[in-house]
Amino acid sequence: MVDKLNRREFLSATAVAGAAMLIDACKSDSSDQKAVVKKSSLNNINVALIGYGEEGKVLLEAFLNIEGVKLVALCDIWEYHRGEGERYLKKLGNEVRSYENYEDLLAKEKDLQAVLIATPDFWHAPMTNTCLKAGLHVYCEKMMSNTIDGARSMVKTMRDTGKLLQIGHQRRSNPRYLFTLNRLLHEAQFCGKLTAIQGQWNRAVKEDFGWPKKYEISQTMLAKYGYKDMHQFRNWRWFKGLGGGPLSDLGAHQIDIFNWWMGKTPKSVMASGGLDYYKNHDWYDNAMVIYEYPVEQAVARAFYQVQTTTSAGGGYYEQFMGDDGTIRMSEDPAICAIYREARATAVSWDDLTQKGYVKAKPLAADTAKVDVRETAALAEYEIPVFFNKPPHQPHLENFFNAIRGTAKLNCPADEAFTSEYVIHKANEAVAAEKKISISDEEVRA
Amino acid sequence: MKIFVSCVSPIVAALLVATAAMAQDKVPLKTQLPKPLFVGTPVPLNVPNLEPPLKGKRADFMVPAGTVLLSKGKKVTASDDSPVTGTLDLVTDGDKAGDEGSWVELGPGKQWVQIDLAKKATIYAVLVWHYHSQARVYRDVVAQVSDDPNFKSGVTTIFNNDFKNEVGAGAGKDQNYVETYQGKLIDAKGAQGRYVRLYSNGNTTNKLNDYIEVEVWGKPAA
Repeated sequence: MVDKLNRREFLSATAVAGAAMLIDACKSDSSDQKAVVKKSSLNNINVALIGYGEEGKVLLEAFLNIEGVKLVALCDIWEYHRGEGERYLKKLGNEVRSYENYEDLLAKEKDLQAVLIATPDFWHAPMTNTCLKAGLHVYCEKMMSNTIDGARSMVKTMRDTGKLLQIGHQRRSNPRYLFTLNRLLHEAQFCGKLTAIQGQWNRAVKEDFGWPKKYEISQTMLAKYGYKDMHQFRNWRWFKGLGGGPLSDLGAHQIDIFNWWMGKTPKSVMASGGLDYYKNHDWYDNAMVIYEYPVEQAVARAFYQVQTTTSAGGGYYEQFMGDDGTIRMSEDPAICAIYREARATAVSWDDLTQKGYVKAKPLAADTAKVDVRETAALAEYEIPVFFNKPPHQPHLENFFNAIRGTAKLNCPADEAFTSEYVIHKANEAVAAEKKISISDEEVRA
Repeated sequence: MKIFVSCVSPIVAALLVATAAMAQDKVPLKTQLPKPLFVGTPVPLNVPNLEPPLKGKRADFMVPAGTVLLSKGKKVTASDDSPVTGTLDLVTDGDKAGDEGSWVELGPGKQWVQIDLAKKATIYAVLVWHYHSQARVYRDVVAQVSDDPNFKSGVTTIFNNDFKNEVGAGAGKDQNYVETYQGKLIDAKGAQGRYVRLYSNGNTTNKLNDYIEVEVWGKPAA
């Protein structure tokens, strides 16, 4: 059963804020979008999916809910996954041609307009560059690349070819994120002066991915595609040269939000981390990072932690803290929260509530019992925007609408590069065990 | 009052003895659990009537002494005879690990799997592992027992959270749930039959229907 959500359902699901205001809030505010195509009459965009692993499956599920697009080809080096995708799509009445090699796909598929790339990070740059040069628009999962040079090359190719390159930081198209950024943080100045940021993604210890022995890829093919063995193929995120470890795999989501919402990049990073727990990985299992963002002749520090040895600490979120209030954002609405300091007077609660920007939560019964020596308990509100789509769907919709010329990309590669750069620098800071400066020039592609 | 007590005391005493005897005949159901796995991008679940997650290990589930695993290696059939992934024998092969290759994945929408226990049995518990490497809710889960392989007659429904009667087995009142490595334990309450059938209708991550393992616990008919 397909959980399609049409526009009417979407609007009713978002309730309180009001339709016109919400639609407006969900538009991209990016003014320096570079790779924009002119209006076209593309009603049915033919698409290929390259990479049908964990993330490829997530993208496919979101893709299947979108109208006006058709998956015509699928590529994965592992027959086990490729066959799974083929059979699934066939059962949905959507037969696809499948390929082991993406260059074969490009050589044979002559009626494509776009590709979705969800392969391991080290393949992103060569695949993206080749596809862009083949005249295709590209949606590439984050991280852009396992190297800064690789990411930079993608931006250059995007500019050289004039094709669209959307990077898969899907929160940038999330209606709740867009609403909160545009209405609460910017328009209402809800947080006041931003003084600190905190983000995290902690995950419990888990076994490495395994694989069914009877479907092992041959050693020759593994070597051809850059893997030492099946374990490395299945667990590439943990290996240098293939992925960027947890700061890149998980941290990229939150650190990208830091840059996006701050509207700037940090001037330095310091970090500590290590390979303390797992014995068969290359990358750090736990890391703690501090970025320094310049704000009004001062500094707002952003702390980020990623732990892959404990799920403690409240899941995954980004929290923006100011002298007037705090906003905690997450893809999981249950984790989202907003708090207003008792001292905040610039905007009234009633005004925000009336506009539909916030909704008051009832105070807990024991709130009044706070010790007089403590800071008074914060009034608690919630963000009244909910949507019932897979998290990646709005970002894909934005990509396809940009191809049609009816939208601007919410995360074009040049914008994503700034996040990419500071994430790579955090990994570098862990290795260097020192504070690293980041200039405005180097962080731009 | 004394008269009343003296009248009912023998009954109460008899009940106590019976209860004690029954309790002595009950034993905890013991199954081997796989390793916990939760990986990948978490999907926010927007599912009504969702059962609170289990805190720690599930409490012992008591079954009559002599209850055995009836389903291991038994024949499995399904509504989809060409699965997206895996083979039907995986449902009863005893492997509950959540890794790739451990599950059979039936096509999109409403699907069922059915286990033939080879002969009639009294069933006390059904344990199901649809998928446990990601927090998912499988939609419209219905479990039934029958002697009829076509499930047209003599059907006992032992679990049903299909509130809207999507699979056509009647509207259910059981809660939605997220499966973990502990699987979902369904109290079969001594239902009798040779066949166990489980329905589902996709899940919160995709439209497919997965089964890592199903265990049917009970006593074969004499």
